[in-house]
Amino acid sequence: MNILCASTGLIWVKKPQKGISGIKEGGFEEILLDMSSCCPPGELEYLGKEIKGSTNILKRKPREESKISEHPEELAGRFRLLLEQCREQGIAAPIARAPYLHRTTRREDLGDLLLRLAEESIKVCGQAGCRYLVVSPLFSGIERGLEWEANRGYYLRLADVAKQEGVMILLENQCREMNGSMVRGICSDAREAATWIDGLNAVCGEERFGLCMDVGICSLCGQDMREYAAALGSRIKAVILRDCDGVQEGAMLPFTCMIGGKFCTDWLSLIRGLREICFDGLLVMDFSSMTAAYPQSLRPQLLQSAWNMAAFFQWQIGMKSVLKKYDKRVLFGAGNMCRNFMKCYGEEFPPLFTCDNDSTRWGERFAGLEIRPPEALKDLAPDCAIFICNIYYTEIEQQLRKMGVTNPIERFNDEYMPSYYHDRLEYWEGEG
Amino acid sequence: MMTGIGVQTHNVVKDEDPRVGFGMLKEAGFTCADFSLNGYLPNTLLYQSQPNSFFDRPLQELEDFFAPHRQGAEAAGIKIHQMHMPYPVHVPGATEEVNDYLRRQVAPKSMGLCHYFGCRYMVVHGFKLSYYLGSEEAEWRETEAFLESLAPYAKEAGITICIENLYESRGGRIKEGPCCDAGKAVERIERMNDRYGAEVLGFCFDTGHANLVGIDMEKFLTRLGSHLKVLHIHDNDGIRDLHQIPYTFTKTRENRASTDWGGFLKGLRNIGYEGVLSFETSPSLSSFPEEMKADVLTFIARIGRHFAKEI
Repeated sequence: MNILCASTGLIWVKKPQKGISGIKEGGFEEILLDMSSCCPPGELEYLGKEIKGSTNILKRKPREESKISEHPEELAGRFRLLLEQCREQGIAAPIARAPYLHRTTRREDLGDLLLRLAEESIKVCGQAGCRYLVVSPLFSGIERGLEWEANRGYYLRLADVAKQEGVMILLENQCREMNGSMVRGICSDAREAATWIDGLNAVCGEERFGLCMDVGICSLCGQDMREYAAALGSRIKAVILRDCDGVQEGAMLPFTCMIGGKFCTDWLSLIRGLREICFDGLLVMDFSSMTAAYPQSLRPQLLQSAWNMAAFFQWQIGMKSVLKKYDKRVLFGAGNMCRNFMKCYGEEFPPLFTCDNDSTRWGERFAGLEIRPPEALKDLAPDCAIFICNIYYTEIEQQLRKMGVTNPIERFNDEYMPSYYHDRLEYWEGEG
Repeated sequence: MMTGIGVQTHNVVKDEDPRVGFGMLKEAGFTCADFSLNGYLPNTLLYQSQPNSFFDRPLQELEDFFAPHRQGAEAAGIKIHQMHMPYPVHVPGATEEVNDYLRRQVAPKSMGLCHYFGCRYMVVHGFKLSYYLGSEEAEWRETEAFLESLAPYAKEAGITICIENLYESRGGRIKEGPCCDAGKAVERIERMNDRYGAEVLGFCFDTGHANLVGIDMEKFLTRLGSHLKVLHIHDNDGIRDLHQIPYTFTKTRENRASTDWGGFLKGLRNIGYEGVLSFETSPSLSSFPEEMKADVLTFIARIGRHFAKEI
């Protein structure tokens, strides 16, 4: 699983160097390239229309360059400098987002332009080595119930150029705005989205389409993200990780939106779902609302926080994948975390034993496991992994390395468990 | 053609003299009622694992208790069209004794009372267990086992148990709860009805709960089709389950209703819904002065007639 930072609001296309270096200093090595930065929803909305007040004394200076919405063929040129400097600074862009319409748009006449912009975006991806392009579904002006017919044709028209450029197109879950309320939109029904993607791939005869799961949209629509992710499975290639208050749009860092000291986004469901499907795609941090409002001087700290947050999610989501990596495993720790390991993963990934520094417990059984001294770890087969079930990860790892243990050491954590039930726990506690 | 317009009995029909309340409903323009059986075992007590003793008495005594209610409804010409079983019927974290009481005493007696009232539909809440069990499928298995315990009697008594789309409060925000996937609901209802060779299971669509979790009402109702048996019509601000009168809330300067009533009506039209338009708006009555209760009820019934015309 790769962790990325969305470029939205962080990189200025005309002078990208500072933004790119800031992202790199924050710890990120990859970005999501937001092509709407050169063709924002507002530009599309007013395309061909005179903006009121443009003749007054505050009239803007004439534009130095043409609009991408009027000259889509110039899109690649507009990103040339940014991509060059990304390469120079060792920042990759494995995913990009094509220009899109705002969900409250009144423009119903831009289907052809969006197609053209998506085609040009695919070409930029091809040149930049970008594997994925997020292309939002068409919705404006499409009669309810005919969304699939309209989008099927749209996406299939993009499939050929995507194939030529080696790009996979990602659909994205949407919501509709209904007089200020958010209602589930296209691709927010997981089974329907899966049917769309499978249908498109079947026509292409290969996996040319996938899904980008926007956590903010799921939250705005009150969805159970565990169910959403589980139903889509490996079709999910990227996840946009952002927080919002569940009522209004926003792109904040995870764990920053709270009401009454409680999180607005159901992170447990998200982690459960992505962990269950062993998500191994791109995890994109989008905190553009914060970027827009944060003091410039604190941006380095913001970026570092974003990276730490991303690493936390990578660890939590990847927990099951890490367990799967090893055929044999032992635990270190004989407390609650060990018990929770056994409760949730003990059957699927049975450990050989656990160990603990407390010598008074050696030889006891706990949660169905024998407790052995740490010295027992020296006799492990080299491919057996040690899962630390104690929050003193660093100290325990140092202890084991000092002892000369060379086995892989992994960090288990029970903050986000796949279930919380206690029957088996009580059974084990009865053991002597 | 709609078969009627209904509303909850809660806040209108009083135990002291049920005839008065049913008469008021009739006067306001209602033809049906959603009997608020849940009001006799409040969920606030259940969440504290302290059920009252109302359902301790034998079914015959419960029937005797409700005899004036049945007579009052008959006298007023109000049909008890649907009923709400006390909820939750499973309290996570409560003692086995409490949950056993709900399953073995409250639920069967509620079904018995439903039959006593000549009521065709009993609305039940599915178990809210996905947080504990880890998945909606595991949660449904528990709910299904509970429904199975009621289904033989439902078949015998000609009652259709209706599962309802619910929400869950997790953290600082409401999210979807049991029965929020129309496709799954249809599959499950059909499976159970096939097994019993009778319509023992149906669906109760709750507009307020749908609005809280952004459900596309038109799509959801269209998918439910003929499995939709009853309605809980009410409004909210999209944040809290307020049970207010439709068209109450707006969120923009244009002041158009923020709940998708157009989608709701279109969904009902798509499936040719001919059931009762039942409002679950009793909390709205307590926000108006007591002397306006009849006017408020009349207004709600008027909205019902508007809905009927639109459908």
